[in-house]
Amino acid sequence: MSWDFLLQQFAAQFGLWWVIVPAILLGIVVGILPGFSPQNTLIMLLPLTLAVPVDQAMAFMIALYCANHLAGGIPAILVKIPGSGGAAATTLDGYPMTQKGQAQQALVLCFTASVAGGLITTLATIALLPWLSQIGLYLRSVEMVVVMLFGLTLIAVIAGKDTLKALIGGFFGLLIGVIGTDHIYNTPRATFGFLELYDGVPLVPALIGLFAISEALVMIEEKLIVDQSGRERAVSARWADTVEGLKMSVQKWWHIVWTSFVGLLIGLTPGAGASIAAFVAYQQSRLWSKTPELYGTGIPEGVIAPEAANNGVTSGTLVPTLALGVPGGSTAAVMMIVLQYHGMVMGPRLFATNPEVAYGVFVSMAVAYVFMIFTILPLARYMSRVVLIETTYLAPIIVLVTIVAAFGERQYLFDMGLALVFGVIGYIAHKTNYHVTAILIGILLGPLFEQYLVRALRISQGDLTVLFSSTLGNVLWGFLVLSLVLPALKSAFSRSSRPQP
Amino acid sequence: MKSPRGADLVIPALALGFAAYFFVSIADLSWEAKANGVVIGGVLVLLVVIQIVRTGVEVARGSGSLSFERLWEPRDALAKRAGLVLVTIAFIATLGWLGLTLGLLLALCAALWIMGARGKVLVLLPLVVSTLAYLLFVLLLKSDIPHGPIEKLFS
Repeated sequence: MSWDFLLQQFAAQFGLWWVIVPAILLGIVVGILPGFSPQNTLIMLLPLTLAVPVDQAMAFMIALYCANHLAGGIPAILVKIPGSGGAAATTLDGYPMTQKGQAQQALVLCFTASVAGGLITTLATIALLPWLSQIGLYLRSVEMVVVMLFGLTLIAVIAGKDTLKALIGGFFGLLIGVIGTDHIYNTPRATFGFLELYDGVPLVPALIGLFAISEALVMIEEKLIVDQSGRERAVSARWADTVEGLKMSVQKWWHIVWTSFVGLLIGLTPGAGASIAAFVAYQQSRLWSKTPELYGTGIPEGVIAPEAANNGVTSGTLVPTLALGVPGGSTAAVMMIVLQYHGMVMGPRLFATNPEVAYGVFVSMAVAYVFMIFTILPLARYMSRVVLIETTYLAPIIVLVTIVAAFGERQYLFDMGLALVFGVIGYIAHKTNYHVTAILIGILLGPLFEQYLVRALRISQGDLTVLFSSTLGNVLWGFLVLSLVLPALKSAFSRSSRPQP
Repeated sequence: MKSPRGADLVIPALALGFAAYFFVSIADLSWEAKANGVVIGGVLVLLVVIQIVRTGVEVARGSGSLSFERLWEPRDALAKRAGLVLVTIAFIATLGWLGLTLGLLLALCAALWIMGARGKVLVLLPLVVSTLAYLLFVLLLKSDIPHGPIEKLFS
């Protein structure tokens, strides 16, 4: 791969602006709505992508996919409703920033972290593609068990004052996550007799219920979702606030870089997605912070980490798809169908036979991110005005529109009812300080954790020592223990170094 | 003043009930199918028992009560909250007949009225939202959401 080849690819992709910009706008609209995942949208638009030349089809799909990842953070910040599972961790600090009247700054942080994170990891992927494609082979079920545990430890991290309540919420979520057929014999477990639960609890209705509906039921207690000072700041929002958000992003540039690489590494593993990446990045960001106690109160790092990571996943997901022919996620699977329809053979040969397609995919992603920042950044100022809408109007719209969105993922009316059930559970959790994020982490990671654990145990015929049988796995175990012990050590050290009165 | 702790037991009670049902449903399955659930459910039951004991100790000491007050507070929002949930149930139940556009229009009108909105906004806002929903879900994304009289009229 020469520089000339790369420059030609970039020039060709910039020439497809007329495909990329509409795809970005559609991706943003669909990404804001929980329930309309990029894969669903791409499946619905499959007749279009199959009908046009492959370069245009890929540019369209890639731009829509990346914009979708970015847009999930917008409702997470403004109204505490993550547009996707990958944005759930963004609510932890994004929404508190909005409540403090810093919605515009939070949105700008979300956009810059997403774009910079996505761009950096895409360029890194282009440069390191032959080596990165091998990493997925080393992350097997044993190692993935430890990666899942990294995400699950966030349950304890977000506990705040009441660890017991967070653990009850987290384990309740984990048990809900085990609903459905088991991974070996496909026998149903705790499905309440509903066929719709045989595939497990669908993520979107859980996300909509626990966050959107429960939050709407709570927000009607106040006239606005922000307090008086937050209202005044939102009313007087100026372009200077966008600039302030940009300055915050520049100051935290290293944070964007390293958390986006967390996303890239997790994205390289088929099956692991943006949700686990965002939670792991948030947990690591808090772990290495000098002020971990401020996480959850509305700080820039708490927005940057999950957003940079969930966009770092985008390029990582496509590496196993193109290099190994193993789709890294459901969206990547749809893209693979389109590429195969156009006669491309996935796997290492693709880079020799059709380098313009193989590398073009990543170049297209980089170009989409460049277009995206110019498309969306000016909108932050106007989007932040959402907080000025009275809850009298906002709450009914949120409840009814997101209930419709719950239908989107699987097209079952059952899922709308399920979202309402989760909404009531989420409301009770809100009012009694059981963290809804802890419940969601359980629902999200429970099935993945079980899948990898059972697979590892099946290979070892039930021998638990298999979990400590690989070098990489043991290194990850070491990091996991370190990440659990380090906060306690730091806290003990700061107590002992504090001058005695 | 006694702190109301009864509401703190609702989530543990739900968790305990669900764990019991889960154990019954997996009783006859192979170890691969139930290992994860048994471990998670076991820990959950243990955590819930600790929470119950903790609450019981507070109540016995007289510093807490078994009141559920926190779930209903503030009282003036209770009717709105219950109304919103009922409208949503009615919306889901009638979606098959009314379709997305008409169902959303009527449900949004009712929900806004319950929330205290009056005047033109009571009609205009639902009209705008249901039209946008029709354009996005029916026309653009061609979702399989149930079609009613309005969708059939424009198809």
